[in-house]
Amino acid sequence: MKTIFKISWRNVWRNKARSLVIILAIGFGLWGGIFATAFLNGVIQQMFDSGIKSHVSHIQIHHPEYDQERLTELYVDGYDEVEQFLSESDEVVAFSSRTIASGMFNTASMVSGVEVIGIDPTQEKLTTDLKAHLVEGEYFNGEFAHPVLIGKQLADKVKVDPGSRIVLTFQNMEGDITSAAFRVAGIYRTANSGIDERNVYIMRNEMEELLGSDGIVNEMAILLNHHEQSGEFREKLQQAFPDHEIRIWSEIAPELSFMTEFSGIAMLVLVIIILFAMAFGLLNTMLMTIFERTNELGVLMSVGMNKGRVFLMIMYETCFLVITGAVLGGVLGVITVMLTGSSGIDLTSLGGEVLMEYGIDTIVFPTLDRIFYLNLSLLVLVTAVAASVYPAWKALKLNPAEAVRKE
Amino acid sequence: MTVIKTENLVKVYNSKHLPVRAVNNVSLEIEEGEFTAIVGPSGSGKTTLLNIIGGLDKPTEGKVTIADTDITGLSDSKLIDFRLKNIGFVFQAYNLIPVLTARENVNFIMLLQGRSQREMNERAEELLTQVGLSDKMDVRPNKLSGGQQQRVAVARALASHPRFILADEPTANLDSQSAMNLLDIMWKLNQEENITLVFSTHDQRVIDRARRVVTLVDGSIAKDEVREPVVPAQ
Ligand SMILES: Nc1ncnc2c1ncn2[C@@H]1O[C@H](COP(=O)(O)OP(=O)(O)OP(=O)(O)O)[C@@H](O)[C@H]1O
Ligand SMILES: [Mg+2]
Repeated sequence: MKTIFKISWRNVWRNKARSLVIILAIGFGLWGGIFATAFLNGVIQQMFDSGIKSHVSHIQIHHPEYDQERLTELYVDGYDEVEQFLSESDEVVAFSSRTIASGMFNTASMVSGVEVIGIDPTQEKLTTDLKAHLVEGEYFNGEFAHPVLIGKQLADKVKVDPGSRIVLTFQNMEGDITSAAFRVAGIYRTANSGIDERNVYIMRNEMEELLGSDGIVNEMAILLNHHEQSGEFREKLQQAFPDHEIRIWSEIAPELSFMTEFSGIAMLVLVIIILFAMAFGLLNTMLMTIFERTNELGVLMSVGMNKGRVFLMIMYETCFLVITGAVLGGVLGVITVMLTGSSGIDLTSLGGEVLMEYGIDTIVFPTLDRIFYLNLSLLVLVTAVAASVYPAWKALKLNPAEAVRKE
Repeated sequence: MTVIKTENLVKVYNSKHLPVRAVNNVSLEIEEGEFTAIVGPSGSGKTTLLNIIGGLDKPTEGKVTIADTDITGLSDSKLIDFRLKNIGFVFQAYNLIPVLTARENVNFIMLLQGRSQREMNERAEELLTQVGLSDKMDVRPNKLSGGQQQRVAVARALASHPRFILADEPTANLDSQSAMNLLDIMWKLNQEENITLVFSTHDQRVIDRARRVVTLVDGSIAKDEVREPVVPAQ
């Protein structure tokens, strides 16, 4: 009914200060909530992406026993057929075939246990962001004869720079110890300092030479268009190659899937807390309003305004407060998320170095899905209606005879 | 025709200590076109009686018949509808919706009744002119004096073509000039349009204007007299 609507809207502005306070409270609450959620989501997505892009990828293929033993002899038989299959699959963005051996990293004065990983530089560049993570020196660009890429953590520990000569030692396929000299071509740094200390990369053809055998691929890492394709594509692969062990990211790195689940719950909790605060603020405001207007409501009911209309009037008033506040907070929230989402928020000054240790990059890009905004809007409306039921019911319970008497 | 008929009305308020018999065995008949004042000292039960007659409150015993309807048995929601269609109310204060203009306040009742826009506009203008507010139609209550607000309330009470108007101390918050002015308007409506009016008051000058004066003492009718009223100077 249009008139009820009009009366409600004007009623909202009768006590401007009070209405503004609750509208601003809702607005700022939502603004903060949206931003905090987007920030959290940004951090989590960043950790997820960096997890996927640094080493895990979406799918990995191994020899079924490789995971327990981690022996170079346990390699993916017929990896070239798999490569063929992958190059023909639309879901696949890139893949990298790796040869892996445990070994020692020696400088003139220091030794460190490492995992020597032989890669095809082109494949690896497309699959992970190893190249993007270089902080010193160069990727495999032919400047040095036997190049090796090492992590910042290791470089600091054994005190080497790009150009330093080092020696890598590991077992070849015959079981003999083999050593070779390499030059540090570049130093990378990822969000995971554990990896930075352990993984050193050389070219796969050089590694195979040292191993004394061709076609040794211990790990194939596959990057898909989207992580949600992982399960389905794994099925496909498994059907084509039933003898290989094929795992998806959530199995390879359970912490990544825990993280995404946790972030979903954390976001929900955040939203619920804000909605609760909103509901109680509203409840308080509306109960005060009704208390103050007892007389007037009594008169309205006396002269023949029925309960449905009284209920509607209170409900509208509550919804007006919420919607005005929500639009304010929503617009501010969306704008803030858009601005910070494109520029990023640099956390370096807030102890970003520490975050790095936990795998969080120092620049965070807050982001939210459209579906989040949609759900939030719905939840806000539901909260508004829920919070208006009690005050409206209170209004209905007024006895008009008592209400008109009350001074 | 008898518009209001009460039979042995009793209203007992169960306060914590002693039950209060606010209305005690009141039987009263009011005919169409009467101009009746309910008078009596404070606490004598005027408001309680008017509230029961108006269907805002239920009697403990007895019954109220409006025209041909026994309203004592009506449900709450039926009563709301009954009030909307049959009774015009003027209260002592807070009569008007503060966020609506005088015209919108008058329209509101007709809107609840589902009248057409044209009918509403015509009637609102006619009524507001009758109560002498043709120049204040689009003003909100807070820009009107107390007397003007009460006149809007009278116009609103009339808007629904009620069988009668109940006014509980309509002049209590007014200065005597405005009070007399409101009374004149009510008197004129009664004389010219045969509107049945029942009002309660303390004010002797207001009492003097009534043709019938029902005096309550301790919830019972102590006196019920019909006399020649003081007619307002034209
Ligand atoms: N809700 C209530 N509970 C208990 N007692 C009440 C209640 N309402 C009224 N009373 C009592 O009923 C009696 C009649 O009250 P009522 O308001 O009808 O008197 P009144 O004649 O209108 O008085 P006034 O001239 O002061 O308006 C009084 O004694 C009053 O205290
Ligand atoms: Mg009274």
